[in-house]
Amino acid sequence: MEDKKLPDVLKKETSRRDFLRGTATAAGSAIAISAIGGIAPKKAEAQYSVQGVPGTKPYAQKYRFAERQNCTGCRSCEFACSLFHYGTARPALARIYIAKYKDIVDVPVMCWHCDDAPCIKACPTTPNSLTKDPKTNGIILNEKTCLGAKCMKCQEACPAKYIRGNPDTGQPLICDLCGGDPQCVKACMEQAGNPQGPCLQGRPLGIGVNMAFREVTPEQAGKDLANLLFYPNVEGKRVVPAKSKTRKGR
Amino acid sequence: MTAPKGGNFGKVLEIDLSKQTYKTRPVSEEILQKYIGGRGLGAYYALTEYKAGKNPLDEDAFVFIGVGPMSGTMALSHRTCFVNKNPYTGNINHSECGAHLASEIKFAGWDGIYIKGRARKPVWLAIVNDKVEFKDASKMWGKTTETAHEMMIKEMKDPEIRTVVIGPAGENGVLYACLVVERFRAAARSDTGSVFGDKKLKGIAVRGTKYAVPVADNAKFLAAARVNKENNMRGEAWEGIKKWGTGGLMELKHFLHGSLITKNFQTTWYPDVVKIGGEEAMRTFWKRHAACTNCPTHCLKLGVIRSGKYAGLVAEGPEYESGGLLGTNLGMTKFDEMIALIEACDAYGLDNISTGGVLGFLTEAMEKGAIKPADLDGLKPKWDDGDTYMEMIRRIAYKEGKAGKFMAQGVARMSKQIGKGTEAYACTVKGRELAAHDPRGDKIRAYSYTMGTNGGDHHEGQGPQALGMTAMADSLVICSFTNFLLYGAGADKITTDMLNPLCGWDWKTEDYWTACKRIFTAERILLVREGVSSKDDRLPIRMYREKLPAGPRKDVVFTDADQKDMEAKTYGFFGWDAKGIPTEATLKAYGLDPFIDELNAAKKKYNL
Ligand code: SF4
Ligand code: SF4
Ligand code: SF4
Repeated sequence: MEDKKLPDVLKKETSRRDFLRGTATAAGSAIAISAIGGIAPKKAEAQYSVQGVPGTKPYAQKYRFAERQNCTGCRSCEFACSLFHYGTARPALARIYIAKYKDIVDVPVMCWHCDDAPCIKACPTTPNSLTKDPKTNGIILNEKTCLGAKCMKCQEACPAKYIRGNPDTGQPLICDLCGGDPQCVKACMEQAGNPQGPCLQGRPLGIGVNMAFREVTPEQAGKDLANLLFYPNVEGKRVVPAKSKTRKGR
Repeated sequence: MTAPKGGNFGKVLEIDLSKQTYKTRPVSEEILQKYIGGRGLGAYYALTEYKAGKNPLDEDAFVFIGVGPMSGTMALSHRTCFVNKNPYTGNINHSECGAHLASEIKFAGWDGIYIKGRARKPVWLAIVNDKVEFKDASKMWGKTTETAHEMMIKEMKDPEIRTVVIGPAGENGVLYACLVVERFRAAARSDTGSVFGDKKLKGIAVRGTKYAVPVADNAKFLAAARVNKENNMRGEAWEGIKKWGTGGLMELKHFLHGSLITKNFQTTWYPDVVKIGGEEAMRTFWKRHAACTNCPTHCLKLGVIRSGKYAGLVAEGPEYESGGLLGTNLGMTKFDEMIALIEACDAYGLDNISTGGVLGFLTEAMEKGAIKPADLDGLKPKWDDGDTYMEMIRRIAYKEGKAGKFMAQGVARMSKQIGKGTEAYACTVKGRELAAHDPRGDKIRAYSYTMGTNGGDHHEGQGPQALGMTAMADSLVICSFTNFLLYGAGADKITTDMLNPLCGWDWKTEDYWTACKRIFTAERILLVREGVSSKDDRLPIRMYREKLPAGPRKDVVFTDADQKDMEAKTYGFFGWDAKGIPTEATLKAYGLDPFIDELNAAKKKYNL
C-alpha cells in the first residue's frame, strides 16, 4: 500500500516506546515484542525443560509477567512475599506492591529481572551488594555490604521505579524470585482465579517482554490502565455533568 | 492485667479531639477474650462508660473504630467496624465495611481507635504508625468524600494511605450521614457521619508500616488460615459473587425469591429490573473487579458510564442494597441515572439505604396525596424521575431550605410530622429504614431487621444462630462471606481453629458460641436501658397488613404467627425472656453480672 493512501494516523511516526507501552499490559504480546527487537532467548535458557514432558525437570521461573488489567488490588502477593521472607504478614516488607492510580486502578509494581540489570550496575560497592543468581535470575541483596538509605543508587537506576526501601533497615527491597518459585505468582493464581484469571505469571523465558515492561513506571502503567478501562474518564474523577445542579461543594 | 499473647497488641489508640492529644489505652487479654474486638469491644466501652440516656452528641461521646485479632493476618480478615451511640436511632449502633483500612490500623500497631471530644475548628487526623497529627481541615470542609480523600493523599504524599472521611452530609448533621472508606466503600448503618461532623472531624488517614500482628503459634495458625483460604478460593459458594458482586442478586431476588424492594415495598415484582440490574451492569458498565485485603472474592465492581448525560461517570455498583434502594425502590428504569444517584450519595456521604428509603417514602406519600409539592419547596418526586431524586439528594446533604431540613430527619420522623396515615407505609424498624430485602418474600431476613441491634439492618444475621455468628464476625471484624455465610454453623470450628493458635487461646467451639451470645446480649442490655423490648422488635406495619400483590411470593404477608415464632426462637436461643429482656441467669452465664442492677432498673423504669 502506498503511503499517501494511508489515513493520517497510520502515517505518523509512532515511537517504539509508545508502542511498547500500549501493548505492555498483556503478557501475550511477548512474541510481538521480541520480534521488534526484544532480547532473543539465550542458548542456555532455551534448554529449559517443558513442564509435563517426561524426563525433564520442573523449570525455575526466571521471569514474571503481569496481566495488569486483571489485578484486583487484593494484595495477596504482598502478604505472600512478606510471609515467605520474614515469616509474617507485613506488606511494608514485600518485594512486590500494589500502587493505586487515581483510586480506580491497581498496579502491581514488581521487578522485571532485566537481563542487563541496571540496578546492579549502579551499585557502588565492590563487590556489588546486588547480584543476580545465575540459576534463578533472582536479585540477591547482601545486607552486610549494602549502604542502605544513604545510597539507594539502585533505586535511581531502576527504569521501572520498582525499588522501595525497607522501613526497618532502609535497604532496598528487591525481588529474589523466591529461589525460582515465586510465591506472589502462586498467591495471585489463588486469588484472581475466578472469573477473570490471575494477574501475575511466572515463566522460564522472558523473550524480551521484561524489557518492554521495565520502561513503564508505575504511574505510566496506571495511566495506561485507566485509559484501557475507564476511557473517556482517564482521570478517574467522579464526573459531574455540566448541566446538573449538583456542582456545589465539588 | 495480662498482655495478649497474639492477635492483639493490647493497645487501643485514644484520641481526644478537644485537647488535641492522644495516648495509648491499654486493653487487657481478659477483656479481649470476652469481647474480641470491633463491635464487641465497642459494646463493652458503651456498657462501662455510658449511663442510660447518654446524649450521643455529648462532647465526651466516643466513636470506636474497631479491628480484630485476625485483621492484618493471613486469616482473610479485612473489615473495619465503627461503633457509636447514634443520634438517629438513640441506640448504640455498629457498621462494618471492607477495603484495606483495618490491616493498616494493625500495621500501625493498634487494636482500634477510640475517638472522643470535639475540635473547635475542623480537623483531620494523620496517623502514621505510633504518631498522630492533628491537621487543619478548614480547606477540606464542605468537600465531597472523594475530594477530601484525594486532598489527604496529596498532603501526605502517599497514595498508600487508607482513609475514612465524611462528606457535606455529615458536616451538616444529616441524621443518616455515613462514613466513606477509601472512596468506594461506605460504613453507613451506624450513621457515624453526623457524629464525626459534630466532632468537627473530617476524616482520618492511616499508614502502618512498622508492625506485624503477633502470632502465638505461627505454624499452626498459618495451617488453619490456609484451610480457610482454600475453602474461600475453591468453594463454589461465591462464584456468583466473584463475578457479579451482590448486584447480580437484584435479578435473583426478583425472579426467584420475590423479595426485591420495589417502590417503597409496595410489591416485589419489578420486571424492569433487567434494565438496571447486574446483567445490564455486566453488559454495559462494569470494567473491573476490586478486592479487600487478601480476599479472593473481589466483590466490588467498578465501571464507567459511556454515554448520555452522565458520560464519564466512574462509579461503584450497583450492589444489591444500593441498586435496590436507589433503583428498583424508586422505580428507576435508566441505568445511568440510578448509578448517578448511588454515586451522589457516596459523594455527599449519605447512607444509600436510608436515603433511598426517604425518597421512596416521599414518592409514595406524594402519590397518595399525603404531601404536596408546596411541602417540599416545590419538589414533586415521582417514580423513575432521576433528576428530581438527584436534586432531593443534594438538598438533603446540604439541608437546603425547608425541604432539605425536613428530609434530613429520615422516614420515621417525617411520617410522624406528616401524619395522614403515612405510618402505614413508613418502613422503618427501631427508627431506621429497611434495606432492600422485602421480609415478606425473604422471611428469614426479618430476624436481621427486627432482632438485630441496629434495626432495619440487612446484615445482622438471618436466624438466631446467625445473629450470634454475625456479632462474632463483626467483633473479629471479618466478612461474613468469608466466614459463616460460607460455613454455616460450622464457622465455630474453623474460626476457633484459627483463633486459638493466633491468640494463644484454648477455646472449644462452645466458647465461640458463648462469646457470640455474650456480645449480642451485651448490646441488648444497652438497648433495654433505653427502653427497647419485644414491642420494638417488629417489622413495619405494611409487612403484616399488605399481601404481596405479585411475583413469586404473591399473596404472602408476614403473619403474627411468623412474628411469634421468630421471637420465641431468638429470645430462647440467647436466654432472654418473652419480652426480649435477658434474664439474670443469662447474664451470669455470660459473665455479664456487673450489669444486672442496671437491667433491673431499666425493667422497672419502662415497666418491662
Ligand atoms: S526492574 Fe529494576 S530492580 Fe528489577 S532488575 Fe530491572 S533495574 Fe533491577
Ligand atoms: S517472586 Fe518472591 S521475592 Fe519476588 S516479589 Fe514475588 S514473592 Fe516477593
Ligand atoms: S495477588 Fe494478583 S490480583 Fe491480588 S493484588 Fe497481587 S497482582 Fe493483584
